[in-house]
Amino acid sequence: MKYMILTYGSQQDYDGMAGQDTDLPAWTPEDFAAMGAFMGELNRRLTESGELVETRALAAPVHTRRVQNGSAGTPIVTDGPYAETQEVLAGYWIVQCDSFDRATEIAAEFANCPVPEHVRAAAFADVRPIDEYVADDV
Amino acid sequence: MTGTEVTEDLWRRLAPQVLGTLVRRYGQFAVAEDATQEALVQAAAEWSRSGVPDNPRAWLTTVASRRMTDLLRAELARRRREETAAAWTYPLETSAADGAVPADKDDSLVLLFLCCHPALDPAAQIALTLRAVGGLTTAEIARAFLVSEATMTRRITRAKKAVRDSGARFSMPGGDAYAQRLGVVLQVLYLIFNEGYATTAGENLQRGDLTAEAIRLTRTVHRSLPDDDEVTGLLALMLLTDARRPARTDEHGDLVPMHEQDRGRWNAAYIREGVALLTAAVAHHNPGPYQIQAAIAALHDEAPTAEATDWPQIRALYEALLRVSDNPVVALNHVVAMAMAMADGADVARARLTEVAADRRIADHPRFHAVSAHLLEMAGDVEAARTAYAEAARRSTGIPQQRYLHGRAARLARNAQTSPPSAG
Repeated sequence: MKYMILTYGSQQDYDGMAGQDTDLPAWTPEDFAAMGAFMGELNRRLTESGELVETRALAAPVHTRRVQNGSAGTPIVTDGPYAETQEVLAGYWIVQCDSFDRATEIAAEFANCPVPEHVRAAAFADVRPIDEYVADDV
Repeated sequence: MTGTEVTEDLWRRLAPQVLGTLVRRYGQFAVAEDATQEALVQAAAEWSRSGVPDNPRAWLTTVASRRMTDLLRAELARRRREETAAAWTYPLETSAADGAVPADKDDSLVLLFLCCHPALDPAAQIALTLRAVGGLTTAEIARAFLVSEATMTRRITRAKKAVRDSGARFSMPGGDAYAQRLGVVLQVLYLIFNEGYATTAGENLQRGDLTAEAIRLTRTVHRSLPDDDEVTGLLALMLLTDARRPARTDEHGDLVPMHEQDRGRWNAAYIREGVALLTAAVAHHNPGPYQIQAAIAALHDEAPTAEATDWPQIRALYEALLRVSDNPVVALNHVVAMAMAMADGADVARARLTEVAADRRIADHPRFHAVSAHLLEMAGDVEAARTAYAEAARRSTGIPQQRYLHGRAARLARNAQTSPPSAG
């Protein structure tokens, strides 16, 4: 079975990670390097075990464009539609593993990621099974 | 050579030579690739038992040619059955005597020219070059370009089909077409280099391999065309640029700008080799964009300190480069060199930057705002410089770049608190 693990962050979180002070303190170089090292190591292990299908980090929410249907059949495009503190998708991992429990176990490892305390307290991840029926059918 | 260990390097060197020979003899790129792969598989099994033969390339060429003949016959039979092969014949050459094998370097070069066929878009040219000439696996190329293996497989398959449909013969184009195609080849090699160099910082460490691969392939071209000054210039440029890589990031993986880099960590061997190549090329007085860029890189590399950099000379070289290339990033670099080259350079450069901003390609680019911030900082306009650094950070999507730009802004704020307010 394949599962998608989704992580979330706000523009404020991204600004902190990019070294900018907001209401919350900016990440130090050590903070940033520690997270990179942890994620690199986790991805290496998941690659070696053959469980990692793919993983991506998304650019900051401010770079988002939202496309909606307009009234006259022309799409309406909004730049940066999110509020500063709104939690939006920040990255994902697609893993292929034996059970939902194993995928959950992988997601739980993110709790060990060394990040500043205020980030850690608010962090969460979702694990969602991928609909294989559709994937196999096309 | 019997009993020699079969090294990764040997495979990577032999595969494109054998493939090149097959494609030159028979055409049919895709079939030739299958035949080469099968010959390599057979070699891996037999050589591990009985050792590497005296002439491994001839061995592989013979086996691959036989396999190719089989595959073409099968293909031909299938087509006959389908009654679609009206006037279609393949040159079924069966002998692959050692004496018939021409200089290997030329086959690798011709293969490279085929992979950079103008019917292909740059992404396809790059993928096909790395696959057929570089000998990388599809999985390795997919990883390097952050796409799935399935996507890269499709990209390569489409590229091969485009080459076939274009009816390209496996031969060197002549005259103007030759010079034009060589230009594309060099561009593809430079793109591969930059793809690796621009992203070595950050989480994608394996992409650094692309710079090594680009240098390796460019060395091959240089060996085949030692008298082409732009080929020499490109090789020099890659070496002189890659020389700075060890000092480009700090222990946390954050970017370090060139003027703050520890020059003791630069790769002295690469600098020596690059300078020697460049010196030999420019002696022919046949300048081109790669030689000019290599000369700029050499001036940076040879300066013992950032302060000792010969900015007036760099500025003159950027002006020469602007005359031969319409590249907005070159225009921005020229503005920086103007600012650094003169006592009152910042003001002159800011006026020039305003003109450059008329180019829409550049006005939205994060680097435009970073250069603007740098000039404002030089002129002592701290508040405007901070705003421009923040704008550059907002527009870039790479976190290491953003961290660098926010760091510059924060440092300005700290300095502003401790030094007297600026008049600018």
